[in-house]
Order: sequence, then structure tokens, then C-alpha cells
Amino acid sequence: MTPRDRGTVNRASPLAGLDRRQLLLGLGAAAGTLTAAGTAAAATEPDNVARAPLSDQTQQRQAFYGVHQAGIVTPRPATGIVASFDVLAPMPEDLVRLFRTLTTRCAFLMQGGTPPELDPRFPPVDSGLLGPVVFPDNLTITVSLGASMFDQRFGLGEQKPRRLLRMIRFPNDAPDAARCHGDLSLQFCANTADTNIHALRDILKTIPDLLVLRWMQEGSVPALPPQAGATPESARNFLGFRDGSANPDAGDPATMDAMVWVGAGQDEPEWARGGSYQVVRIIRNFVERWDRTPLREQERIIGRQKASGAPLSGGYEGDIPDFAADPKGEITPLDAHIRLANPRTKEARKNLILRRPFNYSNGITKAGQLDQGLLFIAYQNDLDRGFIAVQQRLDGEPLEEYIKPVGGGFFFTLPGVVDDTDFLGRGLLAAAGLIDANG
Amino acid sequence: MQIRLSRDIGSAAFIAIACAFANTAILVPANAAVEPRALVAPVADYKIYVTGKVRELVTDTRAFTDAVKAGDVAKAKALFAPTRTSYEAIEPIAELFSDLDAAIDSRADDHEQAEKDSGFTGFHRIEYGLFEQNSTAGLAPYADKLMADVLELQKRIASLTFPPDKVVGGAAVLMEEVAATKISGEEDRYSHTDLWDFQANFDGSRKIFELFRPLLGTDDRAFVEKVEANFATVDKILAKYKTADGFQTYDKLTDADRKVLSAAVNTLAEDLSTLRGKLGLG
Repeated sequence: MTPRDRGTVNRASPLAGLDRRQLLLGLGAAAGTLTAAGTAAAATEPDNVARAPLSDQTQQRQAFYGVHQAGIVTPRPATGIVASFDVLAPMPEDLVRLFRTLTTRCAFLMQGGTPPELDPRFPPVDSGLLGPVVFPDNLTITVSLGASMFDQRFGLGEQKPRRLLRMIRFPNDAPDAARCHGDLSLQFCANTADTNIHALRDILKTIPDLLVLRWMQEGSVPALPPQAGATPESARNFLGFRDGSANPDAGDPATMDAMVWVGAGQDEPEWARGGSYQVVRIIRNFVERWDRTPLREQERIIGRQKASGAPLSGGYEGDIPDFAADPKGEITPLDAHIRLANPRTKEARKNLILRRPFNYSNGITKAGQLDQGLLFIAYQNDLDRGFIAVQQRLDGEPLEEYIKPVGGGFFFTLPGVVDDTDFLGRGLLAAAGLIDANG
Repeated sequence: MQIRLSRDIGSAAFIAIACAFANTAILVPANAAVEPRALVAPVADYKIYVTGKVRELVTDTRAFTDAVKAGDVAKAKALFAPTRTSYEAIEPIAELFSDLDAAIDSRADDHEQAEKDSGFTGFHRIEYGLFEQNSTAGLAPYADKLMADVLELQKRIASLTFPPDKVVGGAAVLMEEVAATKISGEEDRYSHTDLWDFQANFDGSRKIFELFRPLLGTDDRAFVEKVEANFATVDKILAKYKTADGFQTYDKLTDADRKVLSAAVNTLAEDLSTLRGKLGLG
């Protein structure tokens, strides 16, 4: 076997390639100790700095079919996008085509596979940015509808989820019309940003006559090294604090039924069962100013220790602060963010929401400051009792000096697609009489 | 069918995917039967169309630049939008001469120093003077240059052998132009006469589509109907904004109409991007 042959073998076998590259990466400094064979392999392929970074997670896959859509109780991967669209569907059959096409595209993209090949004189079906075989990379796509979807245009008005409304303005908000509301939102989450972009472009290309992109926001969260035996921690936001510490247990179906999923016991249209209210908020963080704020003040504004995420009373991130034992706010100020958001009272349990945010960075503002913040995403089965109640408690909090919500919207996440005879929104369209009950 | 299916043939998942794609125009197979000879007549007809438009452009540009040089702000303003339409209609050909296209039709943000940039010339430089500064002061050299560039364009087009794939591809190119930089109203940002450009871009695109439509096979009937329906949608929207002598300013376009236009433009761009393949070009 010549050195060239060896390189060919390595290319044909991704695992062999992985091992060799890891060897090269890990032992690069100790190259002198490599065996003759290793040196020969290295000589076959020059160190190309543009080689793709390697991931062993591209085949991670989330199930598309289920009572609920994926992307809500699914563990949040490292990157996400929320894209909001205006829907153009002049006829009821266009609306059906919209939901049927979204269903088949989401099912394919989450599963992965080989797109059909066309005569090369045509534009290719797929953008190709993931290569000729689309890999799932842990992708989820979550489809939700805004209140405007239920206006006079589509004949869905009577089926509107009872608590769905156009995102209201809270006192600290500075809504930018170009980044607010929309008829339909798509939340994309995946291990890598490129996978989300691939999926978004696929959908845009497939139904340009039905969906007009209104705004989108990309985000990510910092990954941590796996640590055996260590308690998992929440990812940090751009304020440097762990965010999501008090989230309800997404692995407990009973808790999710009580807090996240619309159920039979609620006064909601029957089709909405298994769905959820989605709140998206683009919240600018004034990070330069925050970074110039004393640590103790930062911690008192948030109500947690910055390094550990533990309550100010000490312990660990997961420990529940005992606010009842601190009625004057001597340990945790009464207006600290976490205390207002979740006072840990029995009544406040009704207001719990499932947060699944990403951090965003959009370059710089005209003033030359970093345009960064939180792409806040939260789910609950009652919008009034959930986000709106929590935000109203937060109105006027000291943190407002450092944050400014500028965009987002309220949406209703459709129930899941149970099998391949079902499609997104089928229950809604049937309830509205736009299709017969058999779909 | 020329679609080559790989690997997943027969699986339910694949069928579902293929069905999703089949809803769009992009899977319509190439019409292999188009003889290269059949392209000759429509390409020649298109050259006649372009030559006529360039002749109009020369005549109109002369009147426009004369008004600018005579210091007649009102007349120059009135002639700005109609003069541009013949250029906008033939952009796929005009753009083949990138030096002239930059000199004639570049916008301030194509230049690092924007309006102050010495490389910023042509229609939009004059538009800036007329509509933003309400004056013809200092515009005479730009007027002379624009006239010279337009005459040069006429000369080059006269001796150009029209490449069929550029001609056919031009139908989509015009829609890409509108989708990328015009739907936002940034093209004629000082005069807000964008709807004139829109109409000219659509007219130019439709001209190409109509010239080559007879070559499309019977299996492309649904495609033809869809494209025609989208052109009709655009016509209907633009008609709402027509005035006695042209179009209302771009800011009058309602948000709802802009969205319908945007979807129609993107769908036309997507569908017309298959026209070359359907005619066996590319």
C-alpha cells in the first residue's frame, strides 16, 4: 500500500478518517513521536485549514410524528432560528397545500435523506449546503400560528385559540414593526446553524407563493464540555448568567400536561389539544453597560450568583430559594428578576412556563454598540396565566435598565402530526369546515 | 421523466417527499424535444424587441439630459421615470455590459462614499440631484456622460450576437432583480418612482416568456398557467396604482399589496428559473 492508497482508504471510511484526524489534531505537537505509518498518512494529505470541522452528532434525529410537535420538550440543541411569515393563501385549497407541504418538508428535513436529482439543466431541488445527502443533525421544526391567521382572510376566525392575541406592548418594550408579529412562525433548532439555514431555505424555495418572510432571528447557546457525574447546568445568556434554572421538568409528561400542552380540561377549541402557546421575544441586552456594572449589583438584579447560578442564599443552581424566609429581601431583593418572575408561592406555580431561549448577536448598532441579546422562546398552555402574568410581574424591574424587547410575537403551536396520514393543522382546517373530517 | 431517483426508491418516506416537491414547478422534467433551431426565431424576435427599446432609450435619454442641462428641474423630474423604463425592460441584455450598467444604473450604495462618491454616475446620480436637492446644479457632466453611455450601449447591442441562454434566462433575471433590490423601494429612493421600474421589469420578463412559450410542451401546461396567473396578479396590483401619466409613488403601495407582489415575484423567479432547463439550455 502506497501512502496515496492509504489516504484513499481513509477518505472512503469516515471513521478511519476521524481517528486519523483526531490523531493529527491531538498529537500534532508531538509529531516527532509518531510512527512511520502515521507520518506517511500525514504526508498524503496536506493540513488543509478549510477542512470541515467534524461532528459525530449529524445523525441525531428527533421524531417528527407524535401527539405534540417536536422542538418544545426536546432538549434544546446549540442553535436555533425563529422565522415569521405572512401567509398568502387566496383559496382554501391553498391553505391546505400550505399545511400539507409544510408537513412533508418538515418530515423529510427532520428525517434526512437524499433529495431527488434533476436534469442538471434545472436548478437543483436542494441547496446542497449539507451535501448530497441531507443529514438530520438533531433538527426540529415547530410550526405555530399568529392571531392574524384567524382574521377574516382564511375563514378560521371561530377556531382561534381563546387566549391568542397579537403581541401586546409592555412598558419597557420598543417594538420594531419590522421584527414583530406574523401569521405563521417556524422555529428551527439543530446542532449546527447551517442545518437550520438549510431547512429554512428548503421551505422558502418550496412554497414561495404561500409564505412571505417577514422577519427572522438566529441564535445559539454556548456548549459545555461533558462532565461525568456533574449536575447539568443551564446554558448562559449574554449577561453571563445561567438562564432557565427554574424551568419545569420537560421529561415529566404530567408536568408538561399541566403547564405546556393544551388539554381537554381547558376552554379551548377541541382541535387545539396537544398544542401550546408560543411566545417569542427579541430582547436586546445592553451588554457594554452590563459589563460595566459591579458584580454584586448584577447578582442582586438577577437574584442569582453569577458563577454557580445558585440562589443568593447559596447552594446550587437547582436549589429552590426560600423567599418566605426572606420577606424583606435582605438576601434576594424583592425586585430581583428571579423573585418577581417566580415568587415560589403556591399561586405562582400556575404561572410557570417552559423557556427555551437562544442568545443572538446581530453585529453592531448605529451607535457602534454590540447588538446582542436574547431570543426568548417560551411555551405554556395558557398565555394569560403564563407569559403575560409573569411579564406583568416583571414590569418595572431593575433589569429593565439593561434590556429592551424590540421584537417577537405571540403564536399558537399546532398539535403534532400523529402519523403519515395526518398533517399539520388538519384538525383546525376540519373544524373550520375547509376540509372534510377525513382530510 | 428525467428525474433520477436515488437510493430511497419505493420507501414511503421518499414518496411523501417526491409528492411535496411535485407541488412545485421545479420537478417538471426537461422538454428534451426542443431543437436548437427552434430557438432561432424567438431569439431574433427578442433582438428586434431590444433594439426597439434601445432606440426609445436613446430618444428619451436625449430629451431627459437636454432638460437637465437646460436647468429645467420640473421637466427633468417628469422625464426621469419614463426614460428609465426602456432600460429596465431590457436589463438582462444591458447587464451583459457590466461597465456600462454600473455607469448608467448603479445606486449610491454600490459605492463606498455613497452619494459623494465620484464613481456614482448615471440615472440615480441625476435622480439624487433632481429629487433630493431639487436642482440641476452640477448635473451637466453626469447628463453628458449618461447620454454617451447610452449611445455606447446602443452600439454594442447592435453588434451583439444574443446568446439564447442569456435571453431565456433573462425572464428570471428580471424577477431576481425585483426580488433582491426593488421590492424594498430602494431602487428609486429619491424619486419613489419604483413602480415604473417594476412595470418595465415585468414587461421585459413577460416578453421573453411569451416569445418562448410556444416551444413548451403540452406537459408544461400547468406551468404556463401558473406563470401567466402570477403575471396577471402583478398586473392587477400595479393597475391599482396607475395614474394618467404613470404611477403613484412607491410609498402609496399598501403593505398588503407589497406582500402579494413579493410572493408573485418570488414565485415567478422560482418558476422562470426552470425555463432554460425546459428548453434544453444551460
